[in-house]
Amino acid sequence: MTTTTAPPAPTPAPTRERAQSLKRSLLILVAIAAVAACAPFVLPESRQSIAIRVLIFAMMAIGWNLMSGYGGMFSFGHAAYFGIGAYTDTYLLVTFGWSPWLALVVGAALAALVAAGIGYVAFRYKLRSAYFALGTFAIAEMLRLLATNTKWVNGTTGYHVPLLPESSWTMLQFGANAAEYFYIGLAMVVVCMVVTLLYLRSRSGIYTVAIRDNEDAADALGISVMRVRLTTMALSAAITAAAGMFYAQYYTFVDPDTAFGSAQSVQAIAPAVIGGVATPWGPLVGALILGPLADLTVTWLRTPPAFLDFLTGRSGLDVVLYAILLIVIALVLPKGIVGSIQEWWKRR
Amino acid sequence: MRARNFVSVIAAVGAGVALVSGCGQGGASGSSGDSKVIKIGTLHPMTGSNAGDGAQLQHGAELAVKKINDAGGIKALGGAKLELDAGDTKGTPDTGQSEAQRLVSDGAVALVGSYQSAVSANIAAVAERNKVPFVMDISGDDAILSHGYRYSFRLQPQNSRFGATAAQYIKDITKSKGRPVTKIAYLHEATAFGTGVYTAFKSEAQKLGLAMGPEITYDAASVSDLTTQIAKVKASGANILVVSGYYRDGVLAAKAVQTVKPKLDAVIGAADGAFDQPQFPTDAGSAANGYFDVNYHLNDKSAEAKAFADLYQAAYHDKARASAGFAYDSVRIIAAALERAGSKDPGKIRDAIAKTDLNPLSLSNGPVTFDEKGENTAGLPVLTQIQDGAPSVVYPDNLAAKTIVYPAPVQ
Repeated sequence: MTTTTAPPAPTPAPTRERAQSLKRSLLILVAIAAVAACAPFVLPESRQSIAIRVLIFAMMAIGWNLMSGYGGMFSFGHAAYFGIGAYTDTYLLVTFGWSPWLALVVGAALAALVAAGIGYVAFRYKLRSAYFALGTFAIAEMLRLLATNTKWVNGTTGYHVPLLPESSWTMLQFGANAAEYFYIGLAMVVVCMVVTLLYLRSRSGIYTVAIRDNEDAADALGISVMRVRLTTMALSAAITAAAGMFYAQYYTFVDPDTAFGSAQSVQAIAPAVIGGVATPWGPLVGALILGPLADLTVTWLRTPPAFLDFLTGRSGLDVVLYAILLIVIALVLPKGIVGSIQEWWKRR
Repeated sequence: MRARNFVSVIAAVGAGVALVSGCGQGGASGSSGDSKVIKIGTLHPMTGSNAGDGAQLQHGAELAVKKINDAGGIKALGGAKLELDAGDTKGTPDTGQSEAQRLVSDGAVALVGSYQSAVSANIAAVAERNKVPFVMDISGDDAILSHGYRYSFRLQPQNSRFGATAAQYIKDITKSKGRPVTKIAYLHEATAFGTGVYTAFKSEAQKLGLAMGPEITYDAASVSDLTTQIAKVKASGANILVVSGYYRDGVLAAKAVQTVKPKLDAVIGAADGAFDQPQFPTDAGSAANGYFDVNYHLNDKSAEAKAFADLYQAAYHDKARASAGFAYDSVRIIAAALERAGSKDPGKIRDAIAKTDLNPLSLSNGPVTFDEKGENTAGLPVLTQIQDGAPSVVYPDNLAAKTIVYPAPVQ
């Protein structure tokens, strides 16, 4: 099979142009990272944890976006990979004293393997669209129940990462609110982005999009649909597992619900959908909006402007806002924020 | 069309920028504090499925602050007033953690919370790392205080204590009433709470020579009917059924027992969230009669607890649950520690809390004191029974308000 036989697009972009667009994307990424790196200097200490949440959201959404946005395989169960990452980390750390960095490699590999296994079974038996989504959801729920009822992963109690007396890079533990957490998280987001951008420019990445757009045509042109899909799923799962490991290290605690609960699956989807599915920057924009949403509405509600005085002390408004935001975006910007901007830019 | 899209893009981006830039302003305003005000952070689930219990706890803490401030504040600190800084955990560990961090950064000298064990476990780690004391009003999981944390204390008796006490009480009662245990069936919800109580119950029961029958579990979040589970109880031939669950599933269990009619001498809750609640007989109807529960309870005989219950009713038009009393006592413990420490330094407050000696609103083995792990050594689960449509304490005898009715067969 050669590239000349697989032109799903009208004409394949010349290599030089493709390289240029990659360069541009990487430059944008560097710029975003540089701006983000200032956050610890600007944000008050009490807001650091929100910045960390944004980073975790971003990592999960980048992972989800790769498989479900670019790959078109809608996953409602990314909590499975997130949880595998978190549990592998805490299990190896608590039981054997492994460094989280090593555990990250193991966790990512394990999540990739599980994803490939799920994908193989699902595609072998032609599980598509809504049925595939339901299947992924069921797998995550199964893992949650399995963790809940398995004694050697501490059942319902889960794991506490033991607190160390001193900061340690090898054990990825620093003082509460230390800026190191933020920079490590930021570096991980950047790595995930670079990996995603490179993958999407690779042959496998281009095939992924081609299969999403027309599976039968891609198959007819000799693309090994199964192999490409499994590669994409595995990479997506590995990225999400990295988010899980970082979560466990930052929050120093995981249990079956926090690791495998459906809330985590939603947290992987929502930023990508709001920011823009199948756009490179959508997950980042979505995470930046959803991460602080709850805390900001709560802060704002504590001292609302005079005309909204009746709202003082009401709780739950952030949930309402969250829902309204989702509805408005779905109605007005069905392609998400970044997707709509891109479209507008093209038609301009 | 194009114009509309453009406007909405700008609006969305604008909203995003506003949200993010609002970030910086929010925290800055919090740090400007009056030196005559001492901030205590509360962390309860104010939204989500446990918001009802969260409100009870929050109200309990508010009443304590009001009482202390009305009585002249913290005298050792020149009459400084207490102020609650209320966090909302939403019942999730990560929000609990970020809220705890925010409260500490905003200058809270101590934290109170949080109802759910998983959330408290996270907050305890935050407290430890920031060296700020954390008093748990309600949170049962034994594991929270098994890490050698110095800054965390727990008022509520831990799960294992409920389980062990329940086994002891069952042994005492069945023996004194001449109707021994043939076999105990155990029904519990499947998370850390139910499993923890069950494990402790089982090991104590085996020590006491009580025969254990089947262990039956269910998922409290999704269960809608428990008749299958109760049918297993009936088939096992057990004469005692012990239940550990939350409120809604407790009512379901009672209804299933009424339908299936197993031959039981008693249904006994171990830290069950339903069988000791005043509204349980209303919701379960005649099925509730005679049900026991081993749980924490307000001391109905103490004038202070009565005053608290009246105050609560007047202020919030609702019956105070025992948990609200624990939140009330948690704030009092911190206030008493502030008096003794004579300082707002969290480390000194921590040392003073460790020397707590305070009469609680709840039934207790004397005043609250903390052991080296931070557990309340005086916490005392008591046995209540639904009689004439209301729960009353029936055991231990010295605290009993009514006489025990056993056997209490299913009607």
